Amino acid sequence: MDEKVLVVDQQKCTGCRLCEMVCSVFHTGASNPSRSRIKVIKWEDVGLYLPMACNHCEKAYCVEVCPTKACHREPENNNRVTIDKKLCIGCRTCVVACPFGHPFFDISERVTVKCDHCDGDPQCVRFCDVKAISFLDADKANVSRRRESAGRFIDSIRQGR
Amino acid sequence: MILLVEKKLFSIKNLFSYDTKDPMRTEHTHPIRNTKYLKPQEEWKGIIAIYLYLAGMGAGSFIIGTLISWFNIKPDPPILSSINLLGHTLNLSSVPILWGPVVVAIGAPFLILDLGIKWRFLYACLNPRTSWVARGFIILSIFIVLGLLLLAKSVLPFEWLRPKSVLWRIPEIIAFIFAFGTALYTGILLKATKSIPLWNSALLPLLFLVSGLSTGSMAMILSTLGTGFFSHDARALKVLMVGEQVLVIIEAIVLYLLLSRRYRAAEQGKDSVRLLVFGEMKMIFWGGVVVLGFIFPVVLENIASFFPGNVAWIFVAGILLLCGGFFLRLGILHAGIREQIPMHRLMEIQYNAAGKTKEFGARRPRNLSLGS
Repeated sequence: MDEKVLVVDQQKCTGCRLCEMVCSVFHTGASNPSRSRIKVIKWEDVGLYLPMACNHCEKAYCVEVCPTKACHREPENNNRVTIDKKLCIGCRTCVVACPFGHPFFDISERVTVKCDHCDGDPQCVRFCDVKAISFLDADKANVSRRRESAGRFIDSIRQGR
Repeated sequence: MILLVEKKLFSIKNLFSYDTKDPMRTEHTHPIRNTKYLKPQEEWKGIIAIYLYLAGMGAGSFIIGTLISWFNIKPDPPILSSINLLGHTLNLSSVPILWGPVVVAIGAPFLILDLGIKWRFLYACLNPRTSWVARGFIILSIFIVLGLLLLAKSVLPFEWLRPKSVLWRIPEIIAFIFAFGTALYTGILLKATKSIPLWNSALLPLLFLVSGLSTGSMAMILSTLGTGFFSHDARALKVLMVGEQVLVIIEAIVLYLLLSRRYRAAEQGKDSVRLLVFGEMKMIFWGGVVVLGFIFPVVLENIASFFPGNVAWIFVAGILLLCGGFFLRLGILHAGIREQIPMHRLMEIQYNAAGKTKEFGARRPRNLSLGS
């Protein structure tokens, strides 16, 4: 299976927002985090940070509601959901439809933009210092958690002896 | 009841502007169920409400007007029955009942005005099978073109445009069906964005259809009164007014059903209804929709029935009802809160778990409790 997904380890994220910076530099040329395709959602009072990017849903609402097929799925390209800027009319229906609030309206370009995995080399993964985001094969996404729970299981067995 | 809604003065400026956002504004918040994060959608604002209102009202008035013309009520010549233009006499006698498409044609550009890149609306017309936005373009254009042609047919003086053949009813029937389509479509447009529980109900297109019919019939009453269309036949006007009051009552029932169903459908549906009924939007809901849209017009029309000669009551009632129709769209649009996603539930659980520990207990905000 060669489909890859962005996996976020929320426990590791420090909320430095470097991913937002590199994302906006890569896509727009400006170091403006408000134009980045990934957003770090913060709950400062309890210290929770969650980077949120597009999930490239199997049944994507944004694709369903797009009136011009600008928002489409590319099976040949990692099965990603992406928006063709040349076709987008900026109606913002996908922004309303997305339950994750992900596609967002770029004020300077007047179109809706969203995560496109940086054409196979996500900059957020490349620059994340603490490796909170990783770009893994979809079937290996849970391996680390499985290993962790297996480790706990083994620990409990050892303690039982 | 604990309100989970931020109490903030409702500013009109905020409703109509898209670009006032600071481009350097950074995204700290997210609509998780918290006072701070509970925000309705901000993408579709007043411009869309104006469009929804004008399309619904125009289509409704066209439906009522076509019904009046089909019942073959012989109208009095209006105050201004004809004008001379370049030697031709234009017959204006049917204009008071067939002006609906003009209003829809005024409303449709608002939809284009809302786009990021305006001229690209043509792209949407080319892909009718993709989505409801695109189908709406088609439905609206067919209705506007056919309706304007029918209006032109009634205005233009040429005799060959008025044959006796029954086949000429066919374009009228098609326009009638597309008028229903236009009124329903305004609701379907919102319903098609499935992630907002308040809108994701078959009752919403029905509500917008009934609201379009009631505002349309009220606008029809005003235009026929203003032009003296029914001055010979007071009974026709009375039938129209009774029908209009029945429609207002049906609209109120449908609105109640929608809100009560949505209140129970999802947590965010409940939040939307609370926002509308008790929260930030309560002035628009109780003042705009209920008082201006439902109570005042019905009361004023009943008062007006005691003073047959005085049409001022009816005009006041009509204008209030038309405002109420607009506020209904505005309220429904602005109370749309997105559905919760599993990730948020996880966050809530972690957040609450964190809140129970001693370390965070003191700082945990009280209003994070999940309500009810």
